[in-house]
Amino acid sequence: MPRYFLHIDDGTQRIEDHEGSELPDLAAARDEALGAARQLWAAAILDQRDIGVRSFSIADGSGTVIDTVRMDTALPRSLLDRLAGLNR
Amino acid sequence: MVFNNRLLRALSPADQEVLRPYFQWSELDRGRVLVSPDEPITRVWFPESGLSSIIAMSGTDQGIEVGIAGRDGLVGMPLLLDADRTPHRIFMQVAGAGYSIDANDLRRTLDENASIRNLLLRYVQAYSTQTTYTALSNAIHPIEQRLARWLLMSHDRQDGDEIPLTHDFLALMLGVRRPSVTIALHSLEGLGFIKATRGLITVRKRLGLIEFAGTSYGVPEAEYDRLIGPLR
Repeated sequence: MPRYFLHIDDGTQRIEDHEGSELPDLAAARDEALGAARQLWAAAILDQRDIGVRSFSIADGSGTVIDTVRMDTALPRSLLDRLAGLNR
Repeated sequence: MVFNNRLLRALSPADQEVLRPYFQWSELDRGRVLVSPDEPITRVWFPESGLSSIIAMSGTDQGIEVGIAGRDGLVGMPLLLDADRTPHRIFMQVAGAGYSIDANDLRRTLDENASIRNLLLRYVQAYSTQTTYTALSNAIHPIEQRLARWLLMSHDRQDGDEIPLTHDFLALMLGVRRPSVTIALHSLEGLGFIKATRGLITVRKRLGLIEFAGTSYGVPEAEYDRLIGPLR
């Protein structure tokens, strides 16, 4: 299985994933990042703390970034619609 | 010869001599499966070093760690409780070595030796306390605190400050996605408690970790101390 590195961009710095994970394909790597995004949002709400993380950069075995998963893609549709309404 | 395994060490010299002839020494490589789900348990293991992970399975490919056992305990607990198998999967997540004894030899020995049986049953109680506090922690503690707790539990069961663990293993232990582990390690590193490099976590400030872990750490450890003896 190919190895993917999931680096974390928190607005001010990049938290490097030095180890990477063996995953079947890019879709599985995206799924891992999305799952982490959901866990971060959940923790932010449950523990009442703000989170700086903006996105995850997915790099392949050679270190090249091949995809990005933004934190907001993990938010429920209804919440995004509501926020869009507030900003209008 | 002094045992490193805390259970064997807690036995009287006479009880140690009862068990010793049955013991077989094995190196326990990382990943070695000691107990497979729903299969008869044929040997009980007393690790002298390394760490085994007890996994509750959800289906065939998902699971979460519900307990750990190293030199503090034994692997194959169901046999002490008159059960020959378990739905759990138990494997070595940190390589080590230890003694094992054939299931039938152990059964017979326990039938004939109340003092050995009682000590091992007290360990079952101590282990059971550990797993209930893992359940508590999974429910109420943020991931950074759970990670601190886990690192302390692992540190308790080894010599030295270097814990050879991959982030994939930590994700399994904590029941979270990989990047969540990266972030939690980064937080603990930022506080100066640990240093995380590839495949290796070094404990820098144990007291800091203990303070940070708060209520997530300490109760099962105190129970172990009361029931068996010093854990570290």
